[in-house]
Amino acid sequence: MEIEVWSGWLGGLAIGLFVILHFWLMGKPAGCSTGYGNVCGLLCKKIKYYHQGEYSDRNNTKLWFLIGIPLGGVLSALGSPDSWTFSFDMGMYKAVLPQSNAAKAIWLIFGGMLIGFGARLAGACTTGHALVGGAMMNPPSLLAAAVFFISAMLTTQLLFLI
Amino acid sequence: MYKLPILQSIKLFLISFSFVYRANFLALIMGVFFGFLMSRAGATTYDYHAKMFLLIDFQLMQVIGTAVVVAMIGVFLLKKYQVRSITTGAEVDFVKKPYTQGLVTGAFLFGIGWAMTASCPGTVPAMIGEGKIGAIFVLIGLLIGTMAFGVLQAYIAQDGNIQQACTWEDNQNK
Repeated sequence: MEIEVWSGWLGGLAIGLFVILHFWLMGKPAGCSTGYGNVCGLLCKKIKYYHQGEYSDRNNTKLWFLIGIPLGGVLSALGSPDSWTFSFDMGMYKAVLPQSNAAKAIWLIFGGMLIGFGARLAGACTTGHALVGGAMMNPPSLLAAAVFFISAMLTTQLLFLI
Repeated sequence: MYKLPILQSIKLFLISFSFVYRANFLALIMGVFFGFLMSRAGATTYDYHAKMFLLIDFQLMQVIGTAVVVAMIGVFLLKKYQVRSITTGAEVDFVKKPYTQGLVTGAFLFGIGWAMTASCPGTVPAMIGEGKIGAIFVLIGLLIGTMAFGVLQAYIAQDGNIQQACTWEDNQNK
């Protein structure tokens, strides 16, 4: 299944305009990973951290933003020339990831855990730090974005070249 | 109890409903937009991540570079003309993420996860929407990781008393 991809300049322009539109409509920076905290608070009543402070109201715009994203993915897939199908195709990663499906799943869950924990520890994900934080020229965000890229690049080089 | 004509009451219901839930509804629409754009920009395709970090293809670098420059101009203009936002009616709040002690460590862990799964929190739901099974496992991991952070925070706040950290109802009653 192939997704139709725009050229980098066009995609970047559209996402840049999206960030501005989000600022104008919602009156605050766009963010993804905070919404996962809302989901955790809704899933598990016993975790106190996700029931206080910025998570005291969990049914907020961050959660609805997160719910909207898969719908956008479906629209994009339906708008592509190929038909919509489920697939476990990992592209270039097929060669470096474990071969069996179960091992692949465990690998991906472990990677997801690192993303989830790291994003909360760093305060935001690529959207919050690199995209929106970069647009606001926020020094901690720029530092975080640089560390994101450096560590991801090192890990990918290790995965593919060694 | 007032009785209004049916059409008028429907109209009033719709107005009050959309007024109360307009922020959440707009957020949903913005989410759809975001997922669509992430997908069309190539951020949900595994190969672009690998190619970017192996310095073969700079599609995603172009995307994020252009996006940041465009958004920077937009933020500058919004600040200059002190534009009021639609939902809050107040001036746009450019709240900045502060520097925290775990920022570099967290960013480092995040980067490793990014390279392992070729996805980030924003693209995982969009990948599920596209029918990528791998993203479902990443989502499970993401929720576990986020939950672990919450438990850790509560654990630290309770001076290492795990029993207290995980019983929210008991703390409420005190």
